[in-house]
Amino acid sequence: MKTSAIALALATATALTTPAFADKLDDIISSGTLRCAVVLDFPPMGSRDENNEPIGFDVDYCNDLAAALGVEAEIIETPFPERIPALMSGRVDVGVASTSDTLERAKTVGMSIPYFAFEMAVTANDKAGIGSFDDLKGKTVGATAGTFEAIALEEQVKAWGEGSFRPYQTQADVFLALSQGQIDATVSTSTVAQANVKTGNFPGITVVGKAPFDTDYVALFTNREEYGMLNYLNLFVNQQVRTGRYAELYEKWVGGELPDLTVSGVYR
Amino acid sequence: MFNYTFHWNQALRALPQMLEGALVTLQIAVLSMAIGLAIAIALTLFRLSGNRALGGFARAWVEVARNTPALFQIYMAHFGLGGIGIHLSPYTALLAGIAFNNAGYLAENFRGALKAIPDTQTRAGRSLGMSALQSFRLIVLPQMLRVAFLPMTNQMVWAILMTSLGVTVGMNTDLAGITQDLNARSFRTFEFFALAAVIYYVIAKLVTLAARLIAWRMFRY
Repeated sequence: MKTSAIALALATATALTTPAFADKLDDIISSGTLRCAVVLDFPPMGSRDENNEPIGFDVDYCNDLAAALGVEAEIIETPFPERIPALMSGRVDVGVASTSDTLERAKTVGMSIPYFAFEMAVTANDKAGIGSFDDLKGKTVGATAGTFEAIALEEQVKAWGEGSFRPYQTQADVFLALSQGQIDATVSTSTVAQANVKTGNFPGITVVGKAPFDTDYVALFTNREEYGMLNYLNLFVNQQVRTGRYAELYEKWVGGELPDLTVSGVYR
Repeated sequence: MFNYTFHWNQALRALPQMLEGALVTLQIAVLSMAIGLAIAIALTLFRLSGNRALGGFARAWVEVARNTPALFQIYMAHFGLGGIGIHLSPYTALLAGIAFNNAGYLAENFRGALKAIPDTQTRAGRSLGMSALQSFRLIVLPQMLRVAFLPMTNQMVWAILMTSLGVTVGMNTDLAGITQDLNARSFRTFEFFALAAVIYYVIAKLVTLAARLIAWRMFRY
């Protein structure tokens, strides 16, 4: 009788002290650190300043998210192809990495509502004689492997049936190849195109116009089954717009007309 | 911590596409071996020639090829030469980079193999009335290739694995390029990479087996 009472008391105590169900949101709050995957080869969204410190829209966005959670932000530099392995292996908690919200990818990771939207621009080598997107037909073009614009551009080249497409590993390689004349033109987000032309690191290239691709909406991502976290991310994106912080960051890093994050006629 | 459900079906559906890429991989490896072999023989002759300029050139080639990363060699073939206005396509740059690397290692293999062939072989040839070149071509070279044959298969396997570095110069038709592309579209990294690894393994294994078979046929006596 006595022993079973003790056993019961012990069992109750154990049940009370061990959390019944800690999800990622709890883990982040209790660890005190939010680890964000950020691409630092993608100005103005992510890059490094003269002191090698991470800067950019995505960096600030991660810092805001950490502040909202009441934890420290840790920026983990992640090249485009390594975003998902970084998440799956538990090296990062959330991706603030300009990730296009394609349905194919949503089978693997959980996407928030869009937090940024890109227009696509054509940047050409001055010697290639390209004045608009249609002039790309038959030319050698390139883009950063696996990005929204790379996938769309490769499909366009296939549809044209002439010319060729080259995927490079980093945005810097694309613009280096473009500047050297290895490729005639690239399609990239207009923000990246302007930032790269402006640096003067890549002589002999000009932004020649818009590419007729859909607007590229990008989302924050985390593990697919982390509903608590995803719910928090959605509300956070909403609050960033509501409080004017989104407009503030946009003005700071990009400037110009603020893109609309909603698609008219649907809820999400 | 590893939180992932595998979708093998999705990866297997892409298998035909990946096997097509494997053919391109094999093609580059074979071509780079053929080119590398021809250059390596030339480098070996340069070293033997006694001409200081040619010997120096051969030594420099071997030094750079063996002591710098293959990734760097391929990158330089594309972006390095591109900087001075010589444009190699990703395919050519990859082929050139691997052939450069192969030539350096094979030349070093040949040097070792030559050391294993006693001088008396050349002298015997000369005493039969052969010229220096004849005795090298007909007596020393065949024996050298025989000694160097198994190390050469190592280099062949290495050439196959080096093709995967082509992704850094925009190569998208070989196995690594296709795998990377499939991965970027779907984010199913682990399935596609695992499948690609299996294909690389099988190709490398088949090449080793084929080389053993050839060696057994050629060097039985």
